[in-house]
Amino acid sequence: MSSDLVIKASEVIKSYEGNNALDGINLEVASGQILGLIGPNGAGKSTFLQTVLGLINTEGNLEVLGLDPRKDRHKLLKDVCSITDVAVLPKWMTVDQVLTYVNGVHPGFNLQKCLSILSRTNIKRSSKIKILSRGMVVQLHLSIVMAINAKLLVLDEPTLGLDLVYRKEFYSQLIEDYYDGNKTILISTHQVEEIEGVLSDAVFMNQGRVVMQDSIESINKKFLELRPNQESVEKAQALGPLHHRTELGREVFLYEDADINELNGIGEVRPPVIADLFIAIMEKTRKEVEL
Amino acid sequence: MMTVLFTMIRREIQEHKLAFIYAPFAVALVLCLVIASVYFGITDIQTNEFNFSTEIYDEEYQEGMLLASPEAKARVIRAGLIVLGLPILLTVGFGLLAYSLSTFADERKDRSLIFWRSMPVSDLTTVLSKLLFVIFVVPLLVLPNIILLQSVAMLSASIYFVTNDIVSFGYLWTSYFITDWFRIIFSLWAQALWGLPIFLWLMFAGTYARRPLVGAAVPIVVTIVLEGIIFKTNVVLEFIENRLGFWSRADSFPVASDEIRVVDISDIFLMLSTQAFWIGMLACIILVAGIVYTRSTNNDYTVE
Repeated sequence: MSSDLVIKASEVIKSYEGNNALDGINLEVASGQILGLIGPNGAGKSTFLQTVLGLINTEGNLEVLGLDPRKDRHKLLKDVCSITDVAVLPKWMTVDQVLTYVNGVHPGFNLQKCLSILSRTNIKRSSKIKILSRGMVVQLHLSIVMAINAKLLVLDEPTLGLDLVYRKEFYSQLIEDYYDGNKTILISTHQVEEIEGVLSDAVFMNQGRVVMQDSIESINKKFLELRPNQESVEKAQALGPLHHRTELGREVFLYEDADINELNGIGEVRPPVIADLFIAIMEKTRKEVEL
Repeated sequence: MMTVLFTMIRREIQEHKLAFIYAPFAVALVLCLVIASVYFGITDIQTNEFNFSTEIYDEEYQEGMLLASPEAKARVIRAGLIVLGLPILLTVGFGLLAYSLSTFADERKDRSLIFWRSMPVSDLTTVLSKLLFVIFVVPLLVLPNIILLQSVAMLSASIYFVTNDIVSFGYLWTSYFITDWFRIIFSLWAQALWGLPIFLWLMFAGTYARRPLVGAAVPIVVTIVLEGIIFKTNVVLEFIENRLGFWSRADSFPVASDEIRVVDISDIFLMLSTQAFWIGMLACIILVAGIVYTRSTNNDYTVE
């Protein structure tokens, strides 16, 4: 993985009527990362992604591929692709027309590659976009994006409202056919469980701030989840878990920087799922603020 | 850059083919059928204000046709052909007003703006492509319909004249017939430039207003009313009236035009020499800047 920085954000602030949607974001994204932005509604994920794409003005310093996204948006978009909403392809166009359009305006678009990807779907080139199902429109959009030789791909809730089959297909296609280790992908979605298998890094956001940023590899080493045996619950509690919850009547403890050997002796140990870790981190942050 | 502009303009043609290809063609086709039907004796049109039938070619009229000087003959034929094309021009004129109002509003309404803006095309390039479409491309799309209509009219009339022994087949076919097409296209380009402030104002309303028609009309009405109350003048209203009319018949045009005539290319240079034209161009520059700014900053996609 290259250590070249694709995104460098320093104290990025965006205010709407006195409220900070972004409250001093500091973030560095390196080339080759598949980074998930994870957070509740209003955390500032979409606002940050729009900032990266140069769609909104912010305070602070932000560089994307060495450019200021606000000033050099159209130059930047030669190397940055995005799907920032579902089914936004112009409905009056036919599939052929939209492909011809992208081929005409995007220097990095490979029409043959796009047609090859489309040939594996049920989408006909002569079809009007308005007659395609929502899932097919997203498939078409993804096919276009995948045929663009971009350095950064920004996905903001790209599968919102799609059924499970399309969602699964979307991410498997993205990883199998698009990601080559050099491209950087930034994903924001509520369906964390669907993307955590593809992420190399995760950023937890809350109330316009970055709460935690780490690689999945490091997270899996640092955080461990324990389902203790019935008789070891008290012992597990005594080890100072970061978070505790009950799942189907069974106690589940989450530890930070715990000794795996110590935990192995008292129950079933495994890395936590991102969603559970996020809730634990949020709770920890809330308690720290209250103190 | 040229490939991008070409692609963008092709996109405009594809999106608005109903208004600028099908509608003028339909009007031209109806007019062709009516004209051919009248000359072939199938029908005629007679109202209190308008009489279009072969009955007008009575003996007195035929005598006048034979005695007319080449200049007088050409003037009447050319004026007649211009009048024939007016319904097509009016159709396209209304189409342009509707296009201007909707072109930036529709992309917000269906949220396709998000897709357009994900492409490496600047807002300025997008606006320029729409301007080129309005100024240069739409007149080019209109011209074939005018040529079709004029050709059918000339052919029908010539066949009628020769089969009824009125005049020879070649009587109507002056040397102006084809050269006037070039004058017409230049005139239409000039017309689009002349009316551009109106089109741009409507486009501007589409970039920000939730109700584009209201957004376009209310500021103008308020300005006209305030101007009347405060300054006792109606400069804004006259400006709009002038811009909605034909450029060669505007108040500011240096040569008064009392009759319907084909404009000469030199008339366009007269238009370029007027202060009114350049005031309009200044308004256009301001409006283009406004459209680019609003399109690039407005993230409100609500359009009713």
